[in-house]
Amino acid sequence: MNSSAASSPPLIQLEGVVKSYGAGSAEELVILHGIDLCIQAGDYVGLVGASGSGKTTLMNLMGCMDRPTRGSYRINGQDVTSLDDDRLSAVRNRSIGFVFQSFQLVPELSVLENVEMPLFYARVPRRERRRKAQELVQSVGLGHRMQHVPSKLSGGECQRTAIARSLANDPVLLLADEPTGNLDSRTGEEILALFAQLHERKRTIVMVTHNPEIAARLPRIVEMKDGRILKDSRSGSSQPLVAASA
Amino acid sequence: MAKPLAVANAGETFLLAFRNLRRNKLRTLLTLLGMIFGVGSVIAMLSVGAGAQAELLDRIRELGVQNVIVNSVRPPQQTRDEKSSQDSDWIDRFGLTDADRLRIERLCPGIDQLLSVNLVPDRVWHGSSRLDATILGVPPAYVSLFGLVPTLGRTLSELDEASASSVCLVRRSLLRKLGVLEEPLGLSLKLGNFPFQVVGVLEDSNYHEQTLAALNLEAGAHEVFIPHAASMRTFGNLVYKERGGTSERTRIEVDRLVAVASSADQVRTVARVIDAILSHGHEQEDYQIVVPLSLLEQQERTQRVFSVVMVLIASISLVVGGIGIANIMLATVTERTREVGIRRAMGARRSDILAQFLTETVAIGLIGGLLGLGFGMAALQGIVRTTGWKAEVGPTAIMVSMGISCAVAVISGLYPARRGARLDPIQALR
Repeated sequence: MNSSAASSPPLIQLEGVVKSYGAGSAEELVILHGIDLCIQAGDYVGLVGASGSGKTTLMNLMGCMDRPTRGSYRINGQDVTSLDDDRLSAVRNRSIGFVFQSFQLVPELSVLENVEMPLFYARVPRRERRRKAQELVQSVGLGHRMQHVPSKLSGGECQRTAIARSLANDPVLLLADEPTGNLDSRTGEEILALFAQLHERKRTIVMVTHNPEIAARLPRIVEMKDGRILKDSRSGSSQPLVAASA
Repeated sequence: MAKPLAVANAGETFLLAFRNLRRNKLRTLLTLLGMIFGVGSVIAMLSVGAGAQAELLDRIRELGVQNVIVNSVRPPQQTRDEKSSQDSDWIDRFGLTDADRLRIERLCPGIDQLLSVNLVPDRVWHGSSRLDATILGVPPAYVSLFGLVPTLGRTLSELDEASASSVCLVRRSLLRKLGVLEEPLGLSLKLGNFPFQVVGVLEDSNYHEQTLAALNLEAGAHEVFIPHAASMRTFGNLVYKERGGTSERTRIEVDRLVAVASSADQVRTVARVIDAILSHGHEQEDYQIVVPLSLLEQQERTQRVFSVVMVLIASISLVVGGIGIANIMLATVTERTREVGIRRAMGARRSDILAQFLTETVAIGLIGGLLGLGFGMAALQGIVRTTGWKAEVGPTAIMVSMGISCAVAVISGLYPARRGARLDPIQALR
């Protein structure tokens, strides 16, 4: 098993996760062929692979946006595989933070209101919510932009807002889907620096990226191909830490 | 794991809804128009219906709900060709008799008062001007029973009745038509050939058709009220009329009986018993029983059907308004698919999304209902002014229309909202 598996249960644990569409029919389309993946708290994982390799599907599963067809998925030891829609929503709300390539901010809402959104659905009282959102916006360096709507922001500022939002409910897992994909390289570097900071503060991060340069800098790289994990390696060592289970 | 809670912060969801509606002002306004017209017309129709109902009650009250009115009428079979019109001594006899009155008095229970009325069609003279009038010989109780309160002078008294004095109550229009300019009280008018003194002036009657029919009056008939005893003494019950060259004499002992039942629920029984008593002595149908209460109920039924139909028609516009809401909300949901995806990814449950969209439609319903209320009242003013109908805007009309508008909004918003709530978050985010 994974050498990093310590005595405590892993934060994220996928076992034999299969995702397919049209199950049972002759044309069953299998996207993920039995994924086993463990992520420890504080890990910073780059998820790489060609398009169509199943990265996005895996991210959706880890983000509780979708349920696996087979296999099990545990967060902090708790099985979330068979939760109903409402409970999955609650898991997304409390335990997952999303950062998207296209930011996914609500255009009509201000920076502050966008950041408040997860708190709103966590039923945090208004005043407390406002205070917390302000803190978060400050922490990503957008204190001077709180009342702006996203269309008045630069791409980097939008992504900072999205990062602030993803941290609102202090989630155990940050999922970033190509967070620098829509940004120029300099702004992208800033965003990556922000993620690096979060990593230093022991956030658990999974980041999908196409950019091998970026991937190379991450402590751990999971490479996918055709719905399977091809390689799972730690940086600094050219040796794969674990061979992908087929 | 957090158990799913109730819908997130209702108040803020409402504010958000208003914000979203404000963002698309023109569209919201157009959607609102549907509701405004719908609610407005329902309010107007309900109020017109309520007004008609109230007027109906008024109308029947003119006749008294506790009264049973029996009129003498010419029997249908007996036509003029039968009797010889050459025979100048021929007298038509029909209608109620004093004997009938006695039998009713003796046999019919539950009657408080039984009043006879003597009707004399004759002319009223003032100097050389004259007017065809209906002279009613009535007991004093009749005057108060039908609410005939003189605005000038006094009413007929028991003393007038006992002494059969030649006094009369007249309508103001009669005085005007006769060209009376002087002080009417104490004025002497000639009823037929007999002088009567005006002791009281009544305001003009504004009888409704039913009342006129029940009282055997023609529209615009000029009523002159005199004591019953005086009418019997002066005119008797023989009526002489010239009609198209032939003369006609009729004798009707009692022109009208008004029985006052001791309570409203006795009215029908009294009417039935009177009918039974009268059908004994009368071979021909020379009397007619009018029960104002039955008229009222019959009219109410008709009125209710009418009201329901009107409100149904008005509701059609409300339905159209609802379809407008559904249409707009479907467009809104489609436009905001991505927002739904974002909210779902941030942890909104389906019910949160549902509530968000439904709140918007309810807001439309509320605003539309309120504006529709204003519009309805304005339309009502217009209707009342142009048609002269009566209308009553009751609290029920307001509550019903507000309720209906919210219900319409919720129903028409339900499908689009459900559609929004059921969006797959992954698809919605693309």
